[in-house]
Parts: sequence; C-alpha cells; structure tokens
Amino acid sequence: MDRTTIQDMVYQTCLLLDDKNFDAFLDLCDEGFRYSITTHSPEIRKDMIWLDHDKKGMQNLFTQLPRHNSDHSPITRHAIVYKVDVDEGRKEADVVSALQVYKTDLDGGATALFAVGKYVDTIRFEGGKPKLAKRVVKLDTRMLGIGYHIPF
Amino acid sequence: MSKTAAQWHETPKFPSSHYVDSRIYTDQQLFEEERQRIFNKTWYIACHESEIPNAFDYRTFQHPGGTPLIIVRGEDMKVRAFYNICPHRGNTLLYDPSGNAKRITCIFHAWSFDTQGNCTDISREEQGYQKRFCKADAGLREVKSETGYGGFIWVNVDDNCVPLKTFIGDAMGELDPYIGMPLEVFHYHRAIVDTNFKLWHDTNSEFYHDYMHYFNRVTGMMQLGYFDRKCVGYDNGHVLVGSMEIKYDAYAGSKERGIGWPGLAQGGWILIDLFPGMTYNLRTSVLRMDTMIPLSPNKVMIEYRGLGLKSDTPAERAQRIFDHNTIWGPFGRNLHEDLLGVHGQGRAMRPGTDSRWVLQGREENSTIHDEVGMRHYYAEWSRLMGRKAFDPYGERRVSAAA
Repeated sequence: MDRTTIQDMVYQTCLLLDDKNFDAFLDLCDEGFRYSITTHSPEIRKDMIWLDHDKKGMQNLFTQLPRHNSDHSPITRHAIVYKVDVDEGRKEADVVSALQVYKTDLDGGATALFAVGKYVDTIRFEGGKPKLAKRVVKLDTRMLGIGYHIPF
Repeated sequence: MSKTAAQWHETPKFPSSHYVDSRIYTDQQLFEEERQRIFNKTWYIACHESEIPNAFDYRTFQHPGGTPLIIVRGEDMKVRAFYNICPHRGNTLLYDPSGNAKRITCIFHAWSFDTQGNCTDISREEQGYQKRFCKADAGLREVKSETGYGGFIWVNVDDNCVPLKTFIGDAMGELDPYIGMPLEVFHYHRAIVDTNFKLWHDTNSEFYHDYMHYFNRVTGMMQLGYFDRKCVGYDNGHVLVGSMEIKYDAYAGSKERGIGWPGLAQGGWILIDLFPGMTYNLRTSVLRMDTMIPLSPNKVMIEYRGLGLKSDTPAERAQRIFDHNTIWGPFGRNLHEDLLGVHGQGRAMRPGTDSRWVLQGREENSTIHDEVGMRHYYAEWSRLMGRKAFDPYGERRVSAAA
C-alpha cells in the first residue's frame, strides 16, 4: 500500500474516464463500489447530492450514454493527490485529490475550465491489488452550463 | 425542396398566430421592453419559504426585471421583499445569497435597516445632515410579496399590481390538491445558457420534443394515453400541459418509483407553465420548479429547484433526490438534452444568422404535440408588449385569410 501505487490508481481512473473506457474504469472498482457527486449550496444552505450510484448503476449509466443526445465536447480530468491516509487494519486508504475538469469544444478546440473540486476516494487492497471502493466527487463548481452526461 | 433567400424569408403559410418572428428572441429593444412591460408588471417566484424558515433569514434574488432584491423573514415571521440597494449611495446591501441578519447593514457607510425596511441607523447622522435628512427619510424600497402555491415566495415590483390570486386565476387548479402540505427545497442549481428565455419556456410548453429524449421515446410515447394529454390555456398566458402516468420499468436502470407523492397516481405527472417564465413540474416523487431570469436577449439564467415533503423521512428524501437527479440533475439524462436543445436554438438565432421564423403550427386537437401552448403564450406576450409576435415592428401586411 505504497503511495505511488495509490497515486497511480487515481491517475489511471482519470485517464480511463477521459478515454471513455468505462469498462476498464469499472474493472478498477470494487464490487461494492459507490460513486457520488456532491456539493454545497449557499443559496439554500444545504449539502446536495447530484449523482449517487453503485457499480451496477454506473454500468447502466455508461451503457445508456450513446442513446442520449449529448454535448460531445470531451473533458479532461486533472487530479493531483494531496493526501493519503493508509489504514493497514482495514486494508484501505483514504485519498484526497484536487480535481480540475476542462472541457474542449468539439468545434474549434477551445479549452475552458469546466469544474473544480476534489476526489475523496477510498481504495481497498485485496490480494495485493488496489480497487476503488468509493469515490465522492466534491464539487466546488455549481454552475455547469448546459450540464454533462458523463460523470467526472 | 430547398429554398432560395426569397423563399426563406416568405411569410409562413400559417395563420399569423402560428409562427413568430425570430427577432423576438434576439432584439435588444424588445428585450428591454419585455423587462418593463412584462417582468416588472407580473408576479414572479423569488424563492421558497423553506429557504428562509427562521426569523431574520434572508435570500437575495436577481429579479428578472433587472432589480436585485432581498427576501427576508421578519421577527414577526412575515416575509417581506426589498430592493437590495442602499438608499444612500446605491450600494448592494446584502452580498451573500442567503443568511440571517437582524439588521441589514450596508458595508459602505454602515447605514442600517431592520427587516421591515426601516432605517435604524445613519452613521454620524446629525453631523452630516443636521435636521435636513433623517432615518425616517431613508427607508428601503419595499416591493409586494406573497407566499403561496406550494409555499413559494412571489414578488411583484409593480405597486399597482393585481393580487397574486388574480394573476394565477384557475391555472393551478390541477396541481393545487398536491401542494398544500409543507414542502422543502432539497436541490438548487443554476444554468446560464446562451439562448433567449422564451425558448426555454417554449420547450416546457410542448412534449413534441420528447423525440430528443431516448427515455421518453421508449416510455411515455409508447404508452396508451400519451397522445390524449391535453394542453389547456388559462388567463394571463398560463398553460397546463396535460397529466399522465409514466411507466418507468420500460427503461433499463429505472424502476417504478416507490414513494410517489401524496394523492398523486403512481407515476403521475402534472406540468404547469406560468407566464412569463416559471414551470411547476410534479413528476411522480419530485416537484421541480424552473424560474428564468433573462440576462440579455441571448442569455438566460435558469434556477432549478427540486422539492420534496417537509415531513420526508431520510429514506424518503434520499429516494426523491435519486429520482430527481436521474432525470433532472446537472448530470441527469433529460435536463442536459433539454438545455442542449435551447442552446442550439440560441446559437442558430444570434443576430446575423438570418434565422427568420419559428413555427408553432402543429394542431393535434390541443394534445401535447400540438403547439397550442406556445400560441397561447405568445398571444399574451403580444397583448402585454403591444406588438405582434409574428410582426413585432409592424412591417408586414397580413392577408385577411391569415
């Protein structure tokens, strides 16, 4: 459970999601995987959940993507691992990474910052291999324009 | 057959009520008139009572007519609305979108106001004004406010406006039985989109655009009764888009909504568009409220709220949030598609693109693929603007047959 392995895991998830290689991303996830996107609204003074799925829910979401009309401008996730807390007893690591998401217009290629936030991950080690057990995307950005179908 | 330039500009072969001139979506002059003649004259939803539950709680609100407002609950628990403008030097009084303030104090020169709009302190009042001006001269500008129709807080900046009940008329009759209990906002987000505000309202006024939604194509449109849903127009430009029951099990990953909504049929759906830019959308387990704040002819800020019952258990609330997000969250399958659609309209209708007409000519016995809801809206728009939506500058001679 060295830090390099954990960092590689976080970065690998970014690369796979950027490539829309969703099956490979899910292969990195534990069977009990839980994914959520959360943020806080100062307007209504409440924490909000904007997306919440288990592994099957994520699989279904990814499967349905081609059937929707979507903004096809690709996004690029840029994460930097800030903090790693390893619990040898639980065989888990709690990992906090800074996250920036950029969107590049399909027409013309202009890139703009789309969102900032943090990945708060739980990485579980089973048989010496890391698995993503939980990911909470804590968004600071709440204005996402016309929205997006692919989770960050 | 494709068209020449002349043919492209020809008046559509519809009655004049069945199309509009694209310039009503793009012209600055018309936009300014809309602010004055429509938004500054009609009731508008500013926020929900659950956002300011306690004495001295406040919300700020960008009124669609242009004026920034404060909505505040007083010590007497009455909700009042004021300009968020200091009467001294015109500064913003409250900067945060929400909070709790026993005194509303301008950061600029520390003039202070209570929640009834009275000025309670002018810094070094006598030294500066002697007897020429005093606190009694410096009250906040109050605007009319009422709470109703699901606990929403409505404002009207016209001192001579009709009561909210008169403005709504019978339009909320279909929904009233389901929103009498205390509700609570659990979701809020904004989208700023490069499009005209009316185009979002248009989208909410018909279900013909279900062709854009895979989910709706494989569920609602396949159901018996889908095409029986009627649009009903009410006074003042409001429209009910007929109700139905949704069969969620037709879509992989969805399931019959377990918790529903008190009194509403399982899978029920009621949508009411209120003129000039608000939509109540009660679908199965969640009430969604859209309010549009036009920022320019081709830019609108849409506020999205999701509401459940104040009495929800944690499990019930979690289910409502899940249901809401699946369809209507910023990552939901339908909202992004709807926004993509109006974003595309805004892109195609920018000044100079030679977009000329928007057709609203579908007639299907006033059912939900009929464009009668839009026609009803633009009849009211034309009345209030003193302009014809199909000919806003009085340039065209329309034949008697049209």
